[in-house]
Amino acid sequence: MKTIQLKVNGAVHSISCPPAKSLLDVLREDLGLTASKECCGKGECGSCTVLINDEAACSCIVLAGQADGQEIITCEGVGLNPNLDAIQESFIEEGATQCGYCTPGIIVSAKAFLNGIDHIPAVDEIKTALGGNLCRCTGYTKIIKAVQTAASRNSSEKEPVKG
Amino acid sequence: MTYNNANPDSFKWVGKRVKRIDAPEKVTGELKYMTDYQFDNMVWGKVLRAEYPHAKINKIDTEGAQKLPGVICVLTHKDIPGFNGFGIVVPDQPVLCSKVVRCTGDAVALVAAETLEIAEQALSLIKVDYEPLEVVADVEFAMSSSAPQLHPDGNIHSHVAIKNGDTKKAFQVADIIVENTFYSPRQMHAFIETEGGWGVMDEQGLITIRCPGQYAYRDRMQIARSLAYNPERIRVISSPIGGAFGGKDEITVQIYLALLAMHTNGRPVKIHYSREESVIAGMKRHPFKVHMKTAAKRDGTLLANEVRAMGDTGAYASLGGAVIALAIEHSCGPYKIPNVDLEGFCIYTNNGIAGAFRGFGVNQVCMGIETHMDMIAEKLGIDPIELRKKNVYHQGEVSSVGHIVKSSVGTFRTLETAEKCDLWKNREKYKAEASEPWKKRGVSLATSFHGIGMGIGLPDYGAASIELLPDGKFLVGVGCEEIGGGNSTVYAQVAAEILNCDISNIQVVQGDTSRTLDGGTVTASRSTYTGGRAVATAAPNMVKMLTETAGEMLNLPLSKIEIETNHLSGGGEKITYQSIYQYLYENRRTTRVEGHFYLPKEKEEIEGSGGAPHHLYGYLTHVVLVEVDTLTGETDVLRVVSIPDAGKVMNRKALKAKQRAEL
Repeated sequence: MKTIQLKVNGAVHSISCPPAKSLLDVLREDLGLTASKECCGKGECGSCTVLINDEAACSCIVLAGQADGQEIITCEGVGLNPNLDAIQESFIEEGATQCGYCTPGIIVSAKAFLNGIDHIPAVDEIKTALGGNLCRCTGYTKIIKAVQTAASRNSSEKEPVKG
Repeated sequence: MTYNNANPDSFKWVGKRVKRIDAPEKVTGELKYMTDYQFDNMVWGKVLRAEYPHAKINKIDTEGAQKLPGVICVLTHKDIPGFNGFGIVVPDQPVLCSKVVRCTGDAVALVAAETLEIAEQALSLIKVDYEPLEVVADVEFAMSSSAPQLHPDGNIHSHVAIKNGDTKKAFQVADIIVENTFYSPRQMHAFIETEGGWGVMDEQGLITIRCPGQYAYRDRMQIARSLAYNPERIRVISSPIGGAFGGKDEITVQIYLALLAMHTNGRPVKIHYSREESVIAGMKRHPFKVHMKTAAKRDGTLLANEVRAMGDTGAYASLGGAVIALAIEHSCGPYKIPNVDLEGFCIYTNNGIAGAFRGFGVNQVCMGIETHMDMIAEKLGIDPIELRKKNVYHQGEVSSVGHIVKSSVGTFRTLETAEKCDLWKNREKYKAEASEPWKKRGVSLATSFHGIGMGIGLPDYGAASIELLPDGKFLVGVGCEEIGGGNSTVYAQVAAEILNCDISNIQVVQGDTSRTLDGGTVTASRSTYTGGRAVATAAPNMVKMLTETAGEMLNLPLSKIEIETNHLSGGGEKITYQSIYQYLYENRRTTRVEGHFYLPKEKEEIEGSGGAPHHLYGYLTHVVLVEVDTLTGETDVLRVVSIPDAGKVMNRKALKAKQRAEL
């Protein structure tokens, strides 16, 4: 067993666990943060995506020991009801979630992508950014639209208010 | 009463663009799926799979595994108190194999342990003495007399046949005959949430199974049958589901969880398949071999169709018989062909198990008939849409399977729409725009149809409850699970519409044998229609209860009670839902109503068809632009125009989402 320090969604946690336990299992089992899901267990589907020091990563292939001392943001950290992030509101507005099991991972990937850009992205850009996230229900069209909608919301928020 | 009596123009919720009621919890990840629950005193369950696709079991030795520290129990077929089998139609799949294994997905033993690692190690310590047997991997070999018999009644699980007219004569007089064999492969649902869940038995012996499924009451029946346990003492919670597409229609891990829960001293047991295990043991789409021979006159009139389809159901039947029956019912497309000779076989092999999967056999035959329509059009020099329009049946006409189609038929209109769409009109332009010299583009279309509901001979009812809660909200309960398609929102829309309240006043509970009535499966495109109609039957009962109570409270006749938005009124006084609850509660009266609905059925079954015809069919045409790399064969679908005959649209937002999903 090893004791690790994690800052998750702004709160610091000290967790005692086997060092080879995945970050995903620590989040789900030790912290009860179950937005991040395991679907493939090998970093291919993106259902477990979290931000580690602002970079999107598959938490199922990150060991707890590797995450020691890092800052983690999960989907719960992007926003919780009723205080939703623009990306979450856009997913609701555009009907971009169906069964919803892949949604938190996609929200986190999209959040990381939008954090790094300052324009309304083209479809191909979004496809590349979300290339590591699989969804079996939606066919992606509405997810892509939701990311664009969130980007335009973000940019309109940045614009000065016209008097 | 002012509530709007079925005038769609005045509807506030039904048919509008309504946001999904479950979306806020889904976009934050707050929603708990069955596999998301965590319990402190939990144990892990694992399943030992067969080592061979076909082998005799001589001995199962669990001693080594039992002795491993941290192992709580090791179970084999000997530990099954009741019937060692499951299967929606024929329970031919052993819960835990005893004498023989028939596919590598077969389960042989179960382990519960303190950690997942210990459970996995315990599996490796179970010694099974196998004697490999000859493997049946091909449907035609399976049907031959030289193949080993996989089940007591042989390798043919089911056979359906529909014959009309005289195909032999029609083939003699036909101007053109096309004949081909179509193969379609096994396909995996690949839902993002793999099979899994929780089982727990409390001190009173009540078993609770939390496991995503497509029909909680039937799952409960199958669990009870294997446990020889009173189903009333088993609670199954099956909603929400992280994707299923038919793949969670059959039992997945529910019986394993229940068996293990009986041996863990009240500790909750969790099984959650890895993706690999889901691939090995999970349901698949039936691989089909379809031989089809279609005849037409020079003017394009279809004369005859002969179909022989074989579906590989793998080691066990599950819904294979029904899949093949539905395939045969749809094997002539939405056309009127006077002479048909159609037969289908559902065949056992030692391949992976096949069962329900969106489309349910229709996809596999649609490919055949629609390819033939294009080939006939090309050979006769007729426009492919014209050829289809010429041969489609209309409402009131006789279908190829020989029944008068009484419900609405949208094929012709979807074809007309296809004809007018940009992609079809300008197809030559689009075809000329290949992205590379070695790539080619093509534009084509296909039309299809699909039976709604269960067909003849199977129960097809919806049931819903509506309960007025202390806070003045309404709890709508429907058995059909939220599978991702958005039926929860539809139920809320229907209730809000009839109760004349805001949708935020409606809560929906689904898929819980303790909280919802038995309303059948979430399959067969039935849950919006059947469950929605059940809600629409329950809601007027709630309206009646509200008005009668308000009348009593105000001491006014019913004619003086008004149902206003979000409350009632009478004699100038406002009556809140909350005050009605309070009144009913104080008088110790129920605040709950029910509604029931039977899906309309055809009266007579087509002999030998296994459930045809359906009373209702949905119709759909697709126009598609693809680009094929002539060097690698890689095919890109570049554009799809989807033209559904959707009937009455309940939620415009959900329709768009669903339509994309179905592509």
